[in-house]
Amino acid sequence: MKIECSVEKIKNAISQVERITGKNLTLPVLSSILLIASGKSLKLRSTNLSLGIEVEVFAKIEEEGTLAISGSVLNAIFSNVSQNENVHLEDKDGNLLIKTKKSQIKLKSQPHDDFPTIPIVTGTTFEIEAKKLIDGIKSVYYSSSVSDIKPEISSVFMYTNEDNLVFVSTDSFRLAEKKVKVKGIEEIPGILIPFKNVAEILKVFGEFQGLIKVCFNKNQISFSSDNIYLTSRIIDGIFPDYRQIIPKNTSTDVVVLKQDLLNALKLSNIFSDKFNQVNLRIAPKDKTLELSSANNDVGENKTFLDAVINGENIELSFNYKYFLDCFQSITTDSVSIKLSGTGSPMVISPVSDVSFTYLIMPMNR
Amino acid sequence: MNTKELWKNCLMEIETGISKANFSTWFKNTSIIKEDTGIIYIGVPNEFVRDWLINKYHKLITKTIADAYENMRAVEYTIVKTENSKQEPTVTTEITIEKELPLKDLYINQEDNLNPRYQFNSFIVGTFNELAYAASQAIIESPGTKYNPFFIYGGTGLGKTHLIQAVGNSIKEKYPNKKVHYMTLEKFATDFVNSLQNNKANSFKEKYRKYDLLIIDDIQFIGKMEKIQEELFHTFNTFHENNKQIIFSSDKHPNYIPELADRLKSRFAAGMIVDISEPEYESRLAILKVKLRELNVDLAEELVEYVAGSVQGNIRELEGSLNLIVCQYRLKNKPLTLMEVKNLLKNSMRPKKNMAIKDVVKIVSEYYKLEEASVYEKTRKKEIVKARQVVMYLLREDFNVSYPLIGQKLGGKDHTTVIHSCLKIKEDLKNDSQLLQELEQIRIMFK
Repeated sequence: MKIECSVEKIKNAISQVERITGKNLTLPVLSSILLIASGKSLKLRSTNLSLGIEVEVFAKIEEEGTLAISGSVLNAIFSNVSQNENVHLEDKDGNLLIKTKKSQIKLKSQPHDDFPTIPIVTGTTFEIEAKKLIDGIKSVYYSSSVSDIKPEISSVFMYTNEDNLVFVSTDSFRLAEKKVKVKGIEEIPGILIPFKNVAEILKVFGEFQGLIKVCFNKNQISFSSDNIYLTSRIIDGIFPDYRQIIPKNTSTDVVVLKQDLLNALKLSNIFSDKFNQVNLRIAPKDKTLELSSANNDVGENKTFLDAVINGENIELSFNYKYFLDCFQSITTDSVSIKLSGTGSPMVISPVSDVSFTYLIMPMNR
Repeated sequence: MNTKELWKNCLMEIETGISKANFSTWFKNTSIIKEDTGIIYIGVPNEFVRDWLINKYHKLITKTIADAYENMRAVEYTIVKTENSKQEPTVTTEITIEKELPLKDLYINQEDNLNPRYQFNSFIVGTFNELAYAASQAIIESPGTKYNPFFIYGGTGLGKTHLIQAVGNSIKEKYPNKKVHYMTLEKFATDFVNSLQNNKANSFKEKYRKYDLLIIDDIQFIGKMEKIQEELFHTFNTFHENNKQIIFSSDKHPNYIPELADRLKSRFAAGMIVDISEPEYESRLAILKVKLRELNVDLAEELVEYVAGSVQGNIRELEGSLNLIVCQYRLKNKPLTLMEVKNLLKNSMRPKKNMAIKDVVKIVSEYYKLEEASVYEKTRKKEIVKARQVVMYLLREDFNVSYPLIGQKLGGKDHTTVIHSCLKIKEDLKNDSQLLQELEQIRIMFK
């Protein structure tokens, strides 16, 4: 292998690919990045056997070849090389020589025979704007359960409903749902992408503009752009029928300014106990929403917020952390909170935006 | 054809041909799902593995299977759910605030009522229970002859049930032919009442007398049940005559079980009566360590020592505190700090008894049926002096009040008088079981 390419391009590719190298696996070669020089490009590939990625970088190929190099070492090297120049990569007796104007590096390679292929997914295919896909995933993924006990809820659920692509995740204490309008999409009955993999998908495509080609079958899903191919396994399971737990009737309807609520919750945080408990009292007569929290060691606080309220008096407790989480997905100035009794979940959504719904289960104590 | 066996043999063959790292990465969690007219379907956990098996190991797998199974025509790979994600699909999940924890069901043997969890290997022996342990070992050696009946008493949550059930389990193991039966007195009583109602008193007698080892837990409740006492007396006699072992547990010495018939008292005393007291620090530490091993949790030495030092008293509370910590540890998924543990245990620690001196006087004088005021008076009437001494003793022993303060509060006595009183009661307690019982009853009234 003998190639020349720009540092900037290869550096980006390495940092994307390196994240997905396998850590703590029995097969050491998985911690490396496979460099494949062929045709007119250099391909960088890595996998942790749950996710696999391949990034293509244009390069001047003088000699084709393949090498497996430790991902973390490669990443560390390239984050210290100046951007605006070209780099020469050369295979010499199984070692990788990296040459720039001012430096020369020799790296040990690993036998690449054992480096696995990454599955090429065939099946239903559709295209979606990267922005929409990222928006959908980003709006809900933080609600997934982090434990491995129930794989079906430690993942993001994706399905189509009419013209919408719907993203849902829950950890059984709160739930987030985001609908993204997509025209002419193939029908998707439901795909469960593991939560950990979703986080990587966000990092890889987070900044990407343009169209992403999504392809999936029963076991595997892939996302590809011009030069990136990312594939993840799919969880074989059934997502709980969450629609039935969204309350249909509300007894109390509150609209409040987002910033006010955010500040009040952050204040409550100081006083909340180890259960992160915050009390919410809604008095339609006074047109106020009262948030209070108390901690034996610190003290207690009460915050009164002006709010537009329709419905009955209600008082309940909840975990403020769950509440704070959802603000990252709400872009409007005011927030609507719908309540239907102390035993059923509270529904939070941005005012005049039906695409996002967030449910929090009150604490029954 | 046994596909499991076939695959096991093939894996053994394959393992020798490739590196260990490769083997454990690619062949772990694989299996033969089925064989259909010569096509072998191999189940793999995901597409990564399937692709690689096809690309790299297909020849090896095909050849290995073909060697072991001549009817093979082809090998196919399918993705199956791995073991740990194999769960019933949940159609509905009720969203609750309670965190679900994986609790394993305890299995209790229907035949003998013994809980197999109670074994001697998880039983910690310390100075507080070594006599009881030694006696129970002797019983396992020669059931029915050495110490019959075996009567064990001690406060709640000190391991009585564990010990007697462990004896039952050990005997069952050692003498498979012996019939063992464990029950609480309450069960014995309900059984008896039922048999009377159905006019089957005889079958009741038969039922219990067929056992070789009878273990009755919580016998202290027998006090007011006269008819049951009589029945137990007969059952006991039958067992004793036939050299069959019988084991009782109670939270009191038989002498202090109220309204217990003398004939039973003397029979209980005929065998071996041992007590279990509260474990000392070292034993508590040992208990915690065994529990941690059982739960498969690693906790910092410092924390374990803190728990052992701060949770005094019975083992059940100790276990409860430990469970609390372990639960928290698992939730947070990171080691706890000493501060956090302290916070957790804040509530579960036994509250320090706080009582006004006046209240103690009131309770004691009520107990001895005296005027409350008379205790404070300067009088040397025998019954009043005794009550006053008891008050002083209790204040000192249970509430740690200083000698001078006790004297001052009880009518301006000198502190040496108080010291004398305390010593006197302490001395008397050694010989006077009546007094011991009185004190115990008064202490119950404090709660």
